[in-house]
Amino acid sequence: MAQLNVQHVDKIYDNNVQAVFDFNLDVKDGELIVLVGPSGCGKSTTLRMIAGLEDISAGHLLLDGKDITQTPAKDRDMAMVFQNYALYGHMTIYENMAFSLTLRKENPNVIHKKVLAAAEILGLTSQLNKKPSQLSGGQRQRVAMGRSIVRNPKVFLFDEPLSNLDAKLRGATRREILLLHKRLQATMLYVTHDQTEALTLADRIVCMSMGHVQQVGTPLELYDDPANRFVASFIGLPPMNFFDATVREGFLEGCGFKVRLSEEEKGILLPYAGKEIELGVRPEDVQEGTETALNVFSNENLGMNTLVHGHIGDNNRISAKLRGWYDYKAGDNVNVAFARKHFFDKASGEAIRKGGKA
Amino acid sequence: MNDEKTVRLDRMRYTKNSMASGLALLSILFDVIFFISIYESNVGSWYYNILMGASILYNLIFLLAAFLCSEGIKNYKIGYAYVMIALGLGQLARIFIYPVKAHAATVTIQEQAVTVMETAQFTRCVAYLVLSAVCLFIGAYVGMTRSRQLKAHLEALGVAA
Repeated sequence: MAQLNVQHVDKIYDNNVQAVFDFNLDVKDGELIVLVGPSGCGKSTTLRMIAGLEDISAGHLLLDGKDITQTPAKDRDMAMVFQNYALYGHMTIYENMAFSLTLRKENPNVIHKKVLAAAEILGLTSQLNKKPSQLSGGQRQRVAMGRSIVRNPKVFLFDEPLSNLDAKLRGATRREILLLHKRLQATMLYVTHDQTEALTLADRIVCMSMGHVQQVGTPLELYDDPANRFVASFIGLPPMNFFDATVREGFLEGCGFKVRLSEEEKGILLPYAGKEIELGVRPEDVQEGTETALNVFSNENLGMNTLVHGHIGDNNRISAKLRGWYDYKAGDNVNVAFARKHFFDKASGEAIRKGGKA
Repeated sequence: MNDEKTVRLDRMRYTKNSMASGLALLSILFDVIFFISIYESNVGSWYYNILMGASILYNLIFLLAAFLCSEGIKNYKIGYAYVMIALGLGQLARIFIYPVKAHAATVTIQEQAVTVMETAQFTRCVAYLVLSAVCLFIGAYVGMTRSRQLKAHLEALGVAA
């Protein structure tokens, strides 16, 4: 198992387009790190640089303290699982899993033991004589993982491995990856654009946007205490509601709402007295109450919850995830309150937190 | 399943018998070279024309049969080993049909007596047929041995073959 240190890594392509800016990350031994962000944010590029499939333009990559920045991909002792499985169609599952070890000219008996052990972990023992085309998408992805496991690498790299699977299979395979991580206690880096995968799998999440790291933290930290407006909007489903608001004495005032501040919130917003900030409220923090009226324009019943879309004031769009089953009609007014609020600096988008730090 | 021999046997459950299969393919290769070599003969009579035609026809059958054996023996099907032995014996028998008869015979071409098959060509043809037969025999032996070993191993594991 291994520690990985990514230090001030940049990626600049030949056409001078910079995809990754000053990426820093210390991955502890046995940690599962998820790189999450929208398409084109540089997360896959970062993973490919770590794997050695892309050159690192600047910075250093250390594995167990050893600089591997210039080390070729094959010598990095990392295994990568791709979105499209990358299995050899003419080989059986056994041969696919054994292939990398065969290339290394390992003892065939040792290869056999490793393949059987990996197949056992992944529940593929009965499929070993089949060809990839005879397996389902989830099974193929497990084969791709098995191919990594047999190599016993120091670091596992996953590049959106579940994107080709349907929703049900994705959930099942996600749980398998989690179990696999618990069982192997391996250092893993996992790239996804799906925040649900990030929240459910990660020990820590690296949230990226436009090549920059926005926040590194545990799933709860990113959900509960987002560093900026981007993280707040990206993590959480449905996304957070944002409203322009002015800080008044003891309350926040915006278009169509006026919400009272707690003593702690007053303290946080003290430097912003009289100024305009951005108020963020998660849909699940919008509850029935008396602070403001939500004018409904659609109502989605999800079973345990009802997702109500509407607006407050003239044009402040809002989504509320209310517990229970409601049948609001378009045009209905629902009185709501904000149970928990997040504040963001209007100019920088940074979170306004305790201690006045923005 | 920790000792080396058991692991080696267990490997056969998931790997093909590529050695036996490869030998069958090699025998096809030697046969093809033989097939090309016989065209250098000085065929000057209908008798040798017929012999060569028959050899060509047999060759087509041999190519098909040997290829099927190569595929069958790859999957540890013991029956194909017996077919390979028969094909090997056939290759040895062929030596005494076309090359030997042609080497001993002379024909008249443009009022000149010539040997149907010169000694050098004869030697090459015999060598190719022998090599082809040897490959088939060894392949059959390897195929037979491994198939039996695998069968015994599967029986010991209680798995259907």
